[in-house]
Amino acid sequence: MRRALAATVLAALLTLGVAGARSEPPGGNAPASQAPEAAAPNPAPAAPPEAKPEPEPKPPQNLEEIDAGTTVAILGKKVRDASGKDMGLVVEVLVDRDANVRAAVIDFGGFLGVGSRKIAIDWRLLQFDPADRDAPIVLSLDRAEVQAAPEYKPGGQPGPLVLVGPPPAVGTSAPPGGQ
Amino acid sequence: MAVSERVQEREIGSTASPSAERALDWLNLFVANIQTGFGPFIAVYLTTQGWTQTAIGIALSVGTVTSMASQVPAGALVDATARKSTAAAFSILAFTLSALMFAFWPVPLSVYLAEVLHGFSSCTLGPAIAAISIALAGRAALGQRLGRNARYASIGSALGAGLMGLCGYYVSNAAIFFLTAALTLPALAALVPLSRIDERALGPDRHSAPQRERIAHLLADRRLWIFACCAMLFTLGNAGVLPLASTEITRRASSVASLLIAACIVLPQLIVALISPRIGALAESRGRRWIMLVGFSMLPLRCLLLAFVTSPPLMVLVQALDGVAAASFGVLVPLVTSDVAGRSGHYNLSLGFVGFAIGIGGTFGTPLAGFMADRFGDPVAFASLGLIGFVVAILVWAAMPETRSPR
Repeated sequence: MRRALAATVLAALLTLGVAGARSEPPGGNAPASQAPEAAAPNPAPAAPPEAKPEPEPKPPQNLEEIDAGTTVAILGKKVRDASGKDMGLVVEVLVDRDANVRAAVIDFGGFLGVGSRKIAIDWRLLQFDPADRDAPIVLSLDRAEVQAAPEYKPGGQPGPLVLVGPPPAVGTSAPPGGQ
Repeated sequence: MAVSERVQEREIGSTASPSAERALDWLNLFVANIQTGFGPFIAVYLTTQGWTQTAIGIALSVGTVTSMASQVPAGALVDATARKSTAAAFSILAFTLSALMFAFWPVPLSVYLAEVLHGFSSCTLGPAIAAISIALAGRAALGQRLGRNARYASIGSALGAGLMGLCGYYVSNAAIFFLTAALTLPALAALVPLSRIDERALGPDRHSAPQRERIAHLLADRRLWIFACCAMLFTLGNAGVLPLASTEITRRASSVASLLIAACIVLPQLIVALISPRIGALAESRGRRWIMLVGFSMLPLRCLLLAFVTSPPLMVLVQALDGVAAASFGVLVPLVTSDVAGRSGHYNLSLGFVGFAIGIGGTFGTPLAGFMADRFGDPVAFASLGLIGFVVAILVWAAMPETRSPR
């Protein structure tokens, strides 16, 4: 029986080796297997010395370089408020039919994954600093202005409610935006 | 001389060697420490690695399905293992591997494998520790020993939550998995003295029925079914309370919300640490039934209070009641199963069966709470979870027999 257990563990180790080998080359933070069509700017194909003379796929000519350091991937990145306090992570970006980015959904608050809330924030309330790779997003609201917003609900009717600004000053009548 | 001493100890029952008792304490502490890293935090970690919410959902489901599917087979595997400490060692090594895979390769295939590895080895480790406890303490003093296990496990969880919270805040999210992997080493070290204990007490009686008959007999036992049913319903009601209460705290409390949620996690653990040895002793002296009643009744009581209490600090205090339930639950699950499975040689299989029932409750509990809160608001959600708890208490009172063997 002990042998059987050892064999199981050994098998697991072997599979791990395969997994490691298979998953290492893509590198980077994005799971490469999920975006095979995203053309790498510089594929640098190491010509494999295969017997079959397969035509080498040529990189397309219609490429444009984005200046280094002027963009940043934001999914999973930290959001801070103007004073630098942690406001959560970006988990989703909402876009409309006209290709306008409408809102970012942030996972706000909680402790070790317990008690966090997903809140949709109007895109115009966000500023981006691509130089800060870890926390590139600044939200112009603070915690007290975000914490009580309704939970983001994807799909269905009515549509998702988006936080569009700070709560109105006391005495103002209608709440802004939403229904 | 040493032999005669050992025989004497065995006859007294509870006086196992103090160093082995200590080692088991440490084992419980470090294993709980390790498990903290694999909790809801995984979702946060994968988010920071650029995973989409859908992909994270798939990865977590892989883990859930694995642990559900492997509860019973893993129990049978541990039953068949000659030395339970070996089974425990392999399980802990699988945790090491799983944690390192999360830390080094947060890409789909590796994460799925890590989830499978962790899901399966959780199912072998729990039963192995319970079996070691029986071998160490003997059946007569098992309640006390399980109380002690629960105490050290809860200290481990509380320390783990604190340590990993700090680690995530000041270092990085990936560092949490390195810390988790590192913590498996002292857990392995704690196993060394436990590899020498006598495990003959676990085997079936020489003159008992053939295996197939014994399993059939066990699975026909009404007490096992009723207890599994109670454990499932209790978990179904209980699993969603903490997430619901803590999102409510996030909504209501401003800057200290995260601290209050941490308190919601740690405070019940401290209560468990305080009272579980007492609960274990009471389970031996007064019986299991009334502890089950008191422990399970904490769920309706807590939910009733949470349906009305809205101040975050008060919610934390109400949450502390979970400590009483968790201490009772932690002691009773391995204890009642041991009462029922007796010396059948299928203790771990039975524990896997109860674990499977608990797994079902846990899997559906959190979405159920979320759905109710979403549709009908928090008070109704808390009230319905409390209703489930009330049903469990009634079920225990009406149908669950006392399982403590008469002395």
